[in-house]
Amino acid sequence: MSRPPRLARWLLERTLPRGVRGDTILGDLIEDLETRARDRSGWWCWRQTLSLASRYGWRRLRGLDRRHPVQKEKRPMLLDSLWQDVRHAARSLAKAPTFTAVVLVTLALGIGASTAIFSLVNGILLRPLPYPEPDRLVYLNEIRPDGSQMSVSWPNFVDWRARQHSFDALALSRTESMTLTGVDHPERLRGRRITGNFFDVIGVRASVGRLFGEAEDRADTPAEAIVSHAFWQDHLGGDRSVIGRAITLDGTSYSIVGVLPAGFRYLGRDYDVFVPVGLWLANNPYLLDRGNHTGFFGMGRLRPGVSLAAARSEMRAIGASLQREYPKTNTNVNVRATPLAAQLVSNVRLTLLVLFGAVGCLLLIACVNVANLLVARGAARQHELSVRAALGGGRGRLVGQLLVESSLVSVAGGALGLLVGSGLLRLLVAVAPDGTPRLDEVALDGRAILFALTASIVCGLVFGAFPALQASGAHGQQALVRTRASGSSAGSHRLRRGLMVVEVALALVLLAGAGLMVRTMQRLTAVDAGFRPDHLLTMRFMLSGPQWRDDTRRAAFLDQVLDRVRSVPSVTDAALADSLPIDGSNWNSIFVVRDKPVPPRALLPSAAFTPVSASYREAMGMRLLNGRFFDATDTATSPKTIVVNETLATRLWPGEDPVGKLLKQGWPESPTPWRQVVGVVNDVKFDGVTEATPLQVYLPMAQEPSDGPALVVRTAGPPAAVRSGIEAAVHGLNADLPLYGAQTMDDMLASSFARQRMSMIVLVVFAGVALTLAAVGLYGVVSHGVTERTHEIGVRMALGAGERHVLGLVVRQGLVTTLAGTAIGLGGALALSRSIQGLLFGVTATDPLTFAAVAVMLLGVTIVACYLPARRAARVDPTEALRSE
Amino acid sequence: MAATPLGEFEHQLLLVVLRLGAGAGGLEIARELETRADRRVSRGALYTTLDRLEDKGLVRWTVAPGSPARQGLPRRVYSVTPHGVAALRTSRETLRRLWRGLEGILKEPTS
Repeated sequence: MSRPPRLARWLLERTLPRGVRGDTILGDLIEDLETRARDRSGWWCWRQTLSLASRYGWRRLRGLDRRHPVQKEKRPMLLDSLWQDVRHAARSLAKAPTFTAVVLVTLALGIGASTAIFSLVNGILLRPLPYPEPDRLVYLNEIRPDGSQMSVSWPNFVDWRARQHSFDALALSRTESMTLTGVDHPERLRGRRITGNFFDVIGVRASVGRLFGEAEDRADTPAEAIVSHAFWQDHLGGDRSVIGRAITLDGTSYSIVGVLPAGFRYLGRDYDVFVPVGLWLANNPYLLDRGNHTGFFGMGRLRPGVSLAAARSEMRAIGASLQREYPKTNTNVNVRATPLAAQLVSNVRLTLLVLFGAVGCLLLIACVNVANLLVARGAARQHELSVRAALGGGRGRLVGQLLVESSLVSVAGGALGLLVGSGLLRLLVAVAPDGTPRLDEVALDGRAILFALTASIVCGLVFGAFPALQASGAHGQQALVRTRASGSSAGSHRLRRGLMVVEVALALVLLAGAGLMVRTMQRLTAVDAGFRPDHLLTMRFMLSGPQWRDDTRRAAFLDQVLDRVRSVPSVTDAALADSLPIDGSNWNSIFVVRDKPVPPRALLPSAAFTPVSASYREAMGMRLLNGRFFDATDTATSPKTIVVNETLATRLWPGEDPVGKLLKQGWPESPTPWRQVVGVVNDVKFDGVTEATPLQVYLPMAQEPSDGPALVVRTAGPPAAVRSGIEAAVHGLNADLPLYGAQTMDDMLASSFARQRMSMIVLVVFAGVALTLAAVGLYGVVSHGVTERTHEIGVRMALGAGERHVLGLVVRQGLVTTLAGTAIGLGGALALSRSIQGLLFGVTATDPLTFAAVAVMLLGVTIVACYLPARRAARVDPTEALRSE
Repeated sequence: MAATPLGEFEHQLLLVVLRLGAGAGGLEIARELETRADRRVSRGALYTTLDRLEDKGLVRWTVAPGSPARQGLPRRVYSVTPHGVAALRTSRETLRRLWRGLEGILKEPTS
């Protein structure tokens, strides 16, 4: 069941006959749509709308509607002459097929590219979130003065909730993976642990059953779960009597109380299951420690009429008073409030805006190029126009006609551009980085079509304006007196060169952006990650549930897993680690060292703590710099040991031998054990390749058996090929263990700079198109200039000017244009460079080498573009040139 | 009025309207064409051809009130005028004459 898109209806209401005739046709269409399947109906509806609008719209425009004879008499003159202009323009364009084709292709590229990028920006940045009054939703977390983001500590949240007045309500939630068992195929589920009011704050109602209430925040709440619509369909058969049924998550039985509406997502992610926070509070008393930031993030709905700024200042004031009341844990901890929509797209916003800017540049270049072609055409048609002016064609009428011509060609270009755009959009979505939010909401919709239409009409008017004014400037007799051979006026030539300067400048801006991105990618791929990423396969599994609570049992099982995996053919080494390089750390904690004074709490150092198996260093290909790595002597009962990275060693013990020093994870007063440093390894990139390496502490897996380890496998052949063998080996030990997140290390590295790669691809393509357009445009201008000056060149050569002299004369003229454009472009690129800074790595936004390289490249290309017509000029036969006069 | 020669699509439309009797709305005509003649027709072509048939005096229509399924918009119900029926007869007679004698080639009985 569906209804016609608003734009289609708008179009129909304006084209169908008025009164009952039109109403009945529209009614038939609506009724027909109601019964059609939603997935195909949009396309069908547009086809019918266009077929109706084209047949009836034309009649209505021409006043041919036989049922409205009155209209025909009243038909305004303007419409009549407009129709005449359109027909005239179509005829004159058809007479110059090459010109028309070049203009159409240029416009289709410009408008197509900008429509595609606009669709991305529209789908991801502009379209409101699919919740009621999304503007009132605010995302809350805690933040340190250095800008580092933290999750929210539970006691702080409780105080916020009690003290604030800006929000209707505040909710808290955290992402949590859960293992579904008690089914045929155990599975990792994407879960979220939430406060009872979470869905109230968002404004979502259950489609079956109920959602949580305040009771679910208390520690004595029963184990209840809400499932997503997709989970309900796939795992529970979409059965409405599912309420009350039990599912087993992480070994605990939950009873289902409700099902969410289809398509519900939070911060761009799908979740399978939601469980209440109260249950967790009961089992994890450490949550009640104010110093623990345990992955929770807040969300609030602003009270009607309260601004974000007001809420922000209130939350900051609450944060400040908590700092005073709890200096031990809250010093330097503040509250950050951002609109939920901005939080969702925070990491892609910059990329999209840079691409949007780039595509704007490209569209302008396309327009300038087309304007250039039109000026040239206008110049060539000056004779025709003068004749018409002399015969009494009004100036306004001539200008109008030229504008109609440029609008016609630009609307046609826009229509072609839509086709190009929809293809390009598919390509962009395919190369977009994994995890780009709302990518499935991106589509070439009515808004994008409207954008393309507006862009093409504006283009038509803008680039039509120059030639129209230019051409209409000539007075009838003046131009008639001049012969056709003398060609266009000096004014039109100046205008064309002016346009070329703009075009070259814009092309340089794009080239500079592309150059910076290419350099960034070079730097990114050249970064030493600190390990050998080739031939590595990683995947994760989870030991959750009561049966795995025992450390000894977990450790023994993990040993067995490694033994089994090592015996898989083609596997040369295998290891386990709690966190993986590039992927980010799962366990960050402050720590203290025995032999140094303890700094104030807010200044305690923090490190990434990573339990790893003894085989980890060799499997990863890391270097040992000092001491030893873990081995069979590090057991659950032996003295506690650690290995640190180079950064930690030099930061904490500059100039000293770190081996033998003692270090403790946690607060100074925490009951955690002291551990002895036994070795130092090289730094490894932990959070992508662009972030600085954190302080790292490795712990032996035998002493800290992880419950959600990653398996790292080094292979002799292609790593992806051993995946099924490894899965079979692990399932041979425990068939209930879901393995997930299988990925080669090379892929993980590549996806960590996917954002930059996408920007680079788009910018390089745009810059290539821009360079081509600029070169073709310049060639056209110079070559036209040569044709015009054939006579002059002939005279010069007759008077003894050599080939070199003529060559220089022509090339110099083109070069002056290019140099002016390059200078302006460099200025523009420098001014805009700051906006791209956030996407760069290892290169500054004003990198002189890049700027010099692109300027030289642009000059090189333009010299070639000037040289070709110049060579033609140099070969002019003086007698031929003079005889033609 | 002399019989106007009918185009193929006009011919089919008249037959469908006649066949549907009192239920010949635009939507029903389109569906009947689809099921009986296996002809998918764009709405633009459908309504402009119906307009043309009306101009020729071969169909006429009355207005029926709309249902909620069409957001209350009215419905046009078409019927074939006596002229329309006459045109169909003439057309069939012409076709019959043309068919006659070709039974051997087409291997089908003509009536």
